[in-house]
Amino acid sequence: MSASQSAVRSRAEAVKVSRTFDWLILFTLFFVVLGGYHIHYMLTGGDWDFWTDWKDRRLWVTVAPIVSITFPAAVQAVLWWRYRLPFGAVVCILGLLLGEWINRYMNFWGWTYFPVNFCFPSNLMPGAIVLDVVLMMTNSMTITAVIGGMAWGLLFYPGNWPVMAPLHVPVEYNGMMMTLADLQGYHYVRTGTPEYIRMVEKGTLRTFGKDVAPVSAFFSAFVSILIYFLWHFFGKWFGGTSFTQSS
Amino acid sequence: MKLIKDKVAKLSFVALLVTVTAAMFYAPTASAHGEKSQAAFMRMRTIHWFDLNWSKDTVPVNDTMTISGKFHVFAGWPETVDKPEISFLNIGIPGPVFIRQGSWIGGQLVPRSVTLELGETYEFKVLLKARRPGDWHVHTMMNVKGGGPIIGPGKWVTVTGTMGSFVNPVTTLLGDTINLETYNLSNTYFWHAFWYALGLAWLAYWARKPIFVPRHIAVEAGKADSLITATDKKVALGFAVGTIAIVAFGMSSTNAAYPVTTPLQAGLLRGMKPIELPARTVNVKVEDATYRVPGRAMQMTLTITNNGDSSVRLGEFNTAGVRFLDPKVHTDETGYPDDLLAEEGLTVSDNSPIAPGTSRTVQVTASDAAWEVYRLADLIYDPDSRFAGLLFFFDEAGNRQMVMVDAPLIPSFI
Repeated sequence: MSASQSAVRSRAEAVKVSRTFDWLILFTLFFVVLGGYHIHYMLTGGDWDFWTDWKDRRLWVTVAPIVSITFPAAVQAVLWWRYRLPFGAVVCILGLLLGEWINRYMNFWGWTYFPVNFCFPSNLMPGAIVLDVVLMMTNSMTITAVIGGMAWGLLFYPGNWPVMAPLHVPVEYNGMMMTLADLQGYHYVRTGTPEYIRMVEKGTLRTFGKDVAPVSAFFSAFVSILIYFLWHFFGKWFGGTSFTQSS
Repeated sequence: MKLIKDKVAKLSFVALLVTVTAAMFYAPTASAHGEKSQAAFMRMRTIHWFDLNWSKDTVPVNDTMTISGKFHVFAGWPETVDKPEISFLNIGIPGPVFIRQGSWIGGQLVPRSVTLELGETYEFKVLLKARRPGDWHVHTMMNVKGGGPIIGPGKWVTVTGTMGSFVNPVTTLLGDTINLETYNLSNTYFWHAFWYALGLAWLAYWARKPIFVPRHIAVEAGKADSLITATDKKVALGFAVGTIAIVAFGMSSTNAAYPVTTPLQAGLLRGMKPIELPARTVNVKVEDATYRVPGRAMQMTLTITNNGDSSVRLGEFNTAGVRFLDPKVHTDETGYPDDLLAEEGLTVSDNSPIAPGTSRTVQVTASDAAWEVYRLADLIYDPDSRFAGLLFFFDEAGNRQMVMVDAPLIPSFI
C-alpha cells in the first residue's frame, strides 16, 4: 500500500474506523479535560469548593462560576467551530465532577476522614447544559457569552441550593448561633485551614439586606460573560492549525 | 573492562528498580506535624504554652477528653512574624481523628478567630471527642494570620473502638436532632447523581451518531449548518427548559422544606480575658546567654532580685514547650510528655534560697538532648538570634512566680 492509498477499502470499514476514532478521541478528550480542568478549578476555586463552611451567599456565588466557565468556553470553541458538536460545556463538567468526586471520596474521606457531607463539590451541570444549548441554538459566540454566560452565573446558586439549604439550618452551640455548615467546619479539625482563612461574608455589599445572593450572582454572571469571551478565544486559537507546519 | 562497566550499569539499574519498588510498598502513616521543623525562634518567642494537661491517654470512640492549660503571648514578639491580632486556637492532629466539641479562651467559646494582646497570659481549654481509632499525636496549636501555625507541645493519645460507631448528634434551633456525621448525605448523592445523569444523557444524545470524522469533513466542506437538525433543536430546547424548570422546582421545594436558614457566621472575637497574675516580685536581668553547640546546653548569666517577702529558688526554665527542671526545687507530676521534659536539665550555680530584698548573680545551664531533638539548636541559624522563655521561681510556701526572659544568644562552637 502506498502513502496515497486509503487505509480502508469499503464504506462499512470507513464507518467502523470513524466510530473507533470517535470513542478514542472522546475518551482522550474526557480525561485530558478532567485532569486540566480539575487542576485549574482546585487552584482557583479551591477551598470555596472544598468545604461547606466556605459556600456562602457572597464570595462562593461570585468566585465559583467565574473561575469555572473557563474550560467550558474553550472546549466549546473547539467542538463547535470544528465539529458542530454542542456538548463542550457538558463534557467539561462531566469530567470535572467525576474528578472532584474521586478526589473528595478517595482523598478527603478515604485518606483524611472528612465526612463527605462536609466536602462535596459544587454542582455546575445546570449552567453547562444551558450554555451548550444556547451556543447550539444561536450559533453565535457573542450571544452565547451574553446569554449563556449570564445563565451560567445565575443558575449556580439555585442549582446548588437543594444540597446546601439543609446545612444552613441554625443551631445554638454553647451560647452562640451557627449554621450546621459552620459547625462542621468547627468540629472537623483542619490543622492547616484556620478559621480566619475562610473568606466568607466579606465585602461591602451591605445595602441589600439579606438578599445578597441574587446580587452576587448577577455580578458573577456579568464577569462570567467577559471570561467566556477570553477563554472562547483561547479555545479557538488552541483548536486551530495555524501553529502547525504545513507539509 | 567494558564487560565490567556493562555489568555495573545493569546491576545499578536493577538496584534502582528494586529501590523504587520497595519505596512504593513502604508507605508508613505520617504521624508528626512538622513541629521540629518550625523555626526555633517561632517556637521560643511567640506563644509559650505551660501548665498543660491532657486529661486522658486512652479514649474510646465517642468518648471525650480535654487539653487545658495556659499560654503566654510573648511581649517581644518577633518582627518577622505578624502580630497575633487575628489568631485561631486550633489543635494539631492528623485530620479529624477527633472532633473539636468546644474550645475556650478565658472561659469564652472561641469557634472563630480572636485577638490576643502581647504580654498577656490566657487560660484555655479544648474539648475533643474521639472519632477514629489509632495512636495520635495531639498538639496544642495557635494559628496566627500572617504568621502561620504555631505548634505547641504534643502528647500521644490512643483512640480505641471503631470509627463506624461514631455519632455526632446535634440539635438544631428548630428542635430536630441530627447526626452531623451523615446528615444530608443521601440528599447530596441524589442531586449530584441526578444532574450527572442528565449531563450524560445530553452527551449520549450526540455521541449516538458518528461525531468527529464525518462532522469535521462536513464543516470543512462548508456544510456545517446541515449537521444540526430540527429534531436536535427540539431536544436541545427540551433540555434547556427542563434544566431551568428543575432548578426552579428544586429551589422552591427546598425553601418549602427548609423555611428557616441563616447565612454562614463569621467575625473576629475581641476582648479575650487574660489571667490576672499577681504582682511580680522577682526581677531577672540576663547578663549574657550562650548556646554551646557541642554540649547541647544553653548557659545564662542571670542577676535575680527578690523584692518579695519570701525567699525564692529557681525551679524551671520553659522554652518552646521543653521544660528544664531542677529536681531539688520542682518535679513534674502532670504526666508531661517525656521527650519534652528534662527532669534534671536545669543546673544553677547557687540555687540556695534568695532572701527577700537581696540580689544574686548565678550561672544557669539548661542542657538536654531535646535541644538537638527538637532542633532548638537551629536558633543560631534564625534571622533574629535571640532566645526567650519562662522562668518559674518557687517560694518557701511552694507558690510559683513566672518571669519572662528575652535576650540575645551567642553560639559557642568550641
